[in-house]
Amino acid sequence: MEPQLGTTFYDVSMNEPRVDLPQRNIPDGAERHRRLQALLFLRQFEYALLRQPKPGFQLLSRGQEAVAVGVCAELKTTDPLLCSGRSIGVALARGVPAGGMLAELIGKDGGPNRGRAGRAHVSMPSVGLFGAHGVVAGNLTVAAGVALAQQQLGTGAVTCCIFGDGACGAGALHETLNVAALWQLPLLLVCDNNGYAVSTSVRDGLAARQVIDYAAPFGIPAASVDGTDVDAVAAAVGEAVAAIRSGKGPRFLDLQCVRLGPHSTLTREERPPAEVQAFDAHDPLRIYEQRLRSEGLLDDARWAAMQAQVDAQIAQAEQFAELASWPDAAEAVLDV
Amino acid sequence: MSRLFFREALCRAMAEEMERDPRVILMGQDIAAHGGSYAETRGLFERFGAARVRNTPVAEAVTVGLAAGAAAAGLRPLAFITYLDFLMLGLDPLVNYAAKLRFKSAGQLTAPMVVKATAGAKGQGPTHAQSIEPWLMNVPGLTVLAPSTAGDAYGLLKTALRAPGPVVFIDHKRLFPLGGVVPDQEETIPVGSAALRREGRDVTIVAHSYMSVVALEAAGALSKAGIEADVIDLRSLWPIDWDTLSASAGRTGHALFVEEGQEVCGVGAELAFGLQERVPGLRVARLGARRAPVSASPVLEAYTIPDATRIADAARRLLGKGAA
Repeated sequence: MEPQLGTTFYDVSMNEPRVDLPQRNIPDGAERHRRLQALLFLRQFEYALLRQPKPGFQLLSRGQEAVAVGVCAELKTTDPLLCSGRSIGVALARGVPAGGMLAELIGKDGGPNRGRAGRAHVSMPSVGLFGAHGVVAGNLTVAAGVALAQQQLGTGAVTCCIFGDGACGAGALHETLNVAALWQLPLLLVCDNNGYAVSTSVRDGLAARQVIDYAAPFGIPAASVDGTDVDAVAAAVGEAVAAIRSGKGPRFLDLQCVRLGPHSTLTREERPPAEVQAFDAHDPLRIYEQRLRSEGLLDDARWAAMQAQVDAQIAQAEQFAELASWPDAAEAVLDV
Repeated sequence: MSRLFFREALCRAMAEEMERDPRVILMGQDIAAHGGSYAETRGLFERFGAARVRNTPVAEAVTVGLAAGAAAAGLRPLAFITYLDFLMLGLDPLVNYAAKLRFKSAGQLTAPMVVKATAGAKGQGPTHAQSIEPWLMNVPGLTVLAPSTAGDAYGLLKTALRAPGPVVFIDHKRLFPLGGVVPDQEETIPVGSAALRREGRDVTIVAHSYMSVVALEAAGALSKAGIEADVIDLRSLWPIDWDTLSASAGRTGHALFVEEGQEVCGVGAELAFGLQERVPGLRVARLGARRAPVSASPVLEAYTIPDATRIADAARRLLGKGAA
């Protein structure tokens, strides 16, 4: 008996609404509008998810959107991106159509993985989303393997792995850093550092004063960046990707951001209320909106038009997800 | 036909597959210039170079993760785990990533990788000796192979290196120095096919890996006492060759399952249940290691692991003929 071969995979329509992908270039006005709209798109998508009758167990990206948008802005579609289970913003910023993503999150057949993967495991290699992974630190060693394949096959692609600060205490990170440095893998390690592993702060969970200290013993260049500033993220990622692509080996970035809500849709908020309230000042969407206004790149009319466009796209995505069918139960044992 | 040591048969399979498919790479501890912990990669580093025969640090989690990711991204890696016990350190990428990848990506990604791990007790003590095959059989998405002869090692490793998903290929310390017949022509052996090593009429003894060798020894002893045993070498622990098992058990009406690992939730427990569903009236027994860690002391190790005497006694008991 041969293991079962894969079925034809679902062809998610790329005509459905998705993020107008930020481009890899000097951030001129048009690009910065794209970035702002992408941040808004991610935010509004998650509100739409929460409006679902049964949103399920979700890890939201609210407060961390600038990491997703800034990283994806600097990757080519052919650069494999792996991420943690906090995948929603990353998947959308990578270009997964919103309707398909919503369907995937609630377990419907219209998702890129036919609803089998959900938030923690969504993948869509055709847009460069090599996959999310639900085990904290579980995607790091796999990303090293993906990078090894790129190196060995000579594709010139940079593999990027986004993981949370919670993964920094895991052995997998240190084994991955060691091999990545030893073999000079084309690998960008991005810590999506929201300061908390569920209820345990970085201060309480990690001995290092800052997460980039973990890269230092391996000789891997590392930098801490304001992860609530989408332009700063894109600039740092762009520089790192260019270095990796030119054969200079792995890079490590600590993108410091905030998680505006609880760990998940099912988790109690355990962080000190005063601290959580203060996070509002670090909301990446509001920061960027205000910056573009102050630089004269955005006025009320433009902002209203942007919101209207995103609202319409999200409404279309909601409709797509609503109309998507549930998978045939017999699919539960396919592709094993 | 030529005679090769088990380790040489493995080496030939790897060399042929590396020659055939440039995507095949090897990764593991001491496999490059050193030639493998069991001399099973001797000459491959010199022949295929450092990019395709890679020494890894002593870090099983990243070794298996590298294989899983590289497989998903287009290579066909073979990761070496020196002792099957150490696969516990690499189970996360194997079980949580590779085994689920085809399913969870709806067929868009697969992980055609092989983990070769060495099981079995041979004087090295509690964490260099375990046979944990049933842990792996329990995981949907994994193919589990465990040959006992040089010929099967050759044919099955070649199959594993062409398989569409993750394969765990389990060999055994006591098998490497054994010789066997290997075909001169290139040959593969399909997964899910057991081998009937000896024909009898009274009882079916089912084993895998090194215990197949011991079971044949036991069958020889039983024969002298007038009891003729079928000996089935499973070769493939998942998928299971129920046809071969059912045909034999249907003839003998008695099946004894032997394994070097623990009996609790073991290979025998699974096979006995499945075979009783397929062969009405079948009488079954199982024999595995005593419920204790494996000791480094030869006396204690031998007491723990099944041997030919215990297998023959178990067969007699199953047949109602009492122990010798």
